[in-house]
Amino acid sequence: MINHIVFIFIFLLGFYAILVKKSLIKMVIGLNIMEGAIFYWFIAITDRGGIIPIVQSTQVAFNLNDPIPQALILTGIVIGASTSAFLLTLIIELNKFTDSTNPDQLGGMIED
Amino acid sequence: MNNILIYLVVVPLATAFLIPFVDIFSNKARKILVGFSALFEFSIGMYIITDNYAAITEHTFFLKYYLGNWIPPIGITLSMDMLSLFFSTLISISLLFIITYSIGFIGHHEGKYYVLLFLIWAAMHGIILTGDIFNLDVFLELMLITSAPLVAFKRDRNGTEAAIKYMFFGAIGGLFIFIGVVLVYFNLGTLNFADIAQSFSLLPLFIKKMIIIFFLIGIFIKLGIFPFHFWLSKAHSACPSSISALLSGVIVKVYIYVFIRLFFNVFGFDILRETGLDIIIIVIALTSSILGHVLALSENDIKRMLAYSTVANLGIIVAVLTLNTRLAILAGLLHVMAHLLMKVSLFTATGYLLQFTPSHKLQDLKGVAYKNIILFAGFTLTAAGMVGFPPMIGFFSKWHILQAFLDRSFHWGSITVILGSIIAFFYYIKYIIYGFKTISIGPPERFRLILSVFYRERVVTNIAILFAIAVVVVGVFFKLSYGPIEGAANAIMDPSIYIESILGG
Repeated sequence: MINHIVFIFIFLLGFYAILVKKSLIKMVIGLNIMEGAIFYWFIAITDRGGIIPIVQSTQVAFNLNDPIPQALILTGIVIGASTSAFLLTLIIELNKFTDSTNPDQLGGMIED
Repeated sequence: MNNILIYLVVVPLATAFLIPFVDIFSNKARKILVGFSALFEFSIGMYIITDNYAAITEHTFFLKYYLGNWIPPIGITLSMDMLSLFFSTLISISLLFIITYSIGFIGHHEGKYYVLLFLIWAAMHGIILTGDIFNLDVFLELMLITSAPLVAFKRDRNGTEAAIKYMFFGAIGGLFIFIGVVLVYFNLGTLNFADIAQSFSLLPLFIKKMIIIFFLIGIFIKLGIFPFHFWLSKAHSACPSSISALLSGVIVKVYIYVFIRLFFNVFGFDILRETGLDIIIIVIALTSSILGHVLALSENDIKRMLAYSTVANLGIIVAVLTLNTRLAILAGLLHVMAHLLMKVSLFTATGYLLQFTPSHKLQDLKGVAYKNIILFAGFTLTAAGMVGFPPMIGFFSKWHILQAFLDRSFHWGSITVILGSIIAFFYYIKYIIYGFKTISIGPPERFRLILSVFYRERVVTNIAILFAIAVVVVGVFFKLSYGPIEGAANAIMDPSIYIESILGG
């Protein structure tokens, strides 16, 4: 249960950053916090307290931890990294046209 | 087992990675590679159709391929049923012509442009073929990340802002879908579509609701349905017109496919009906439709108007699909095809016309019809199809949608469709009248040809006219498309076909 509560708290923290912060870079950080919350949560809820794969063939393979969440999260981390890298690139690109990173001065995120 | 499916994903992916290397040596070789690969990918699709023609006409068509020979539910399964075939064919045809259009339309950074375009093509086919829910999420993100640079392709302030917005909302939508995937895996211990479909109904209602709601929010953010419609118009209008056609015509249809596959085949429609969510979806989608039409009417910029019209039409498609009768699904799929053809046609024509105007504003479009009267006639015909005039495909799809709403006696739906068509008539006629207005004042220098992004007029006009002809011809012979659409509707209505075909050997 504590995992779910911590997840919701961190996720909403990231969401708060996206909604409230007046800087595009802080919003990217917020997005990363949301992603991190999901990764943490997925690892935590699928943990069975067992042996971590990969096991040697000589060992008795029982009470293993599920390796699939880790594989999924590795992929998720790659996606998250490329998303935020590209977003930051766009923000640098935007710097050519304006000095501000305030979304309200850039036509707004919601309006238009 | 049929390993031709993997080539549908691999060919564009390989092309995308080859283009930069070929580009170092010569421009001409790159052009040949692009043309060849596009044709090759298209002909793979055509080969699948001709090879399985008998099965397709009998609606028993099903191809599958186990990646790495892992038998499901372990491993990733690529599969193609009638529904995938319908979308795959639409995508292949429209992308082939959009790439041909781009050869005439994009005059700078061509190498990068085609890399991204082919990556999008690979991602779209990945989404359509995959039978694994996490794989679907990965391909969705791939499509987002590769289409966002194309939104910013003009490298101006507006485009960059639009791309940032597009990325933010796309990424948030992706996160919601990822939460859904996590919940599915945590509760069912599987990622395979067919396996999920088998055991999903056994879950507790609360968990089912959570999964459905997270996936719905994610897909609706990416689709731009009503509470999240605000990012779409800017993203779809700030890019070059070929990309607008791709985003507004094709990519949103892929999200529609995801919606159909997940909510009809994987999770099953019963859960939506049980929780009463289907009525909520219909109401939201109809609101989105009316709002899209009203915003399009209030818009003064031709590309933004077309983008809002996409919001409106997506609303109608989602609403009519959610009615979940046979007629409604037929109508929805017909409108998917109709909207794809018409929107690509409108954007390709607009891309040509806008080369002669100082801006996208309505006032600047004065007299633009006389620049190329045949192309503008095509634009007018397609716009008439969008409103719903008879010979064009738009009329028949709207007719079916109306019938579907009346059939379920969902009168708000019928009223929305008719009202939307009336509003659409006003906003299209505005641009057409301005197009035919002669310019009394102002020297001819007012028309400037932006040569940097536009250097092969013939290709561009021919493709635009071709799409306009397609809108009329498909409209006249629309009965021919009934066969495949009925097959796709069967696949939607009966999820057991999909489950048994994947799991049963």
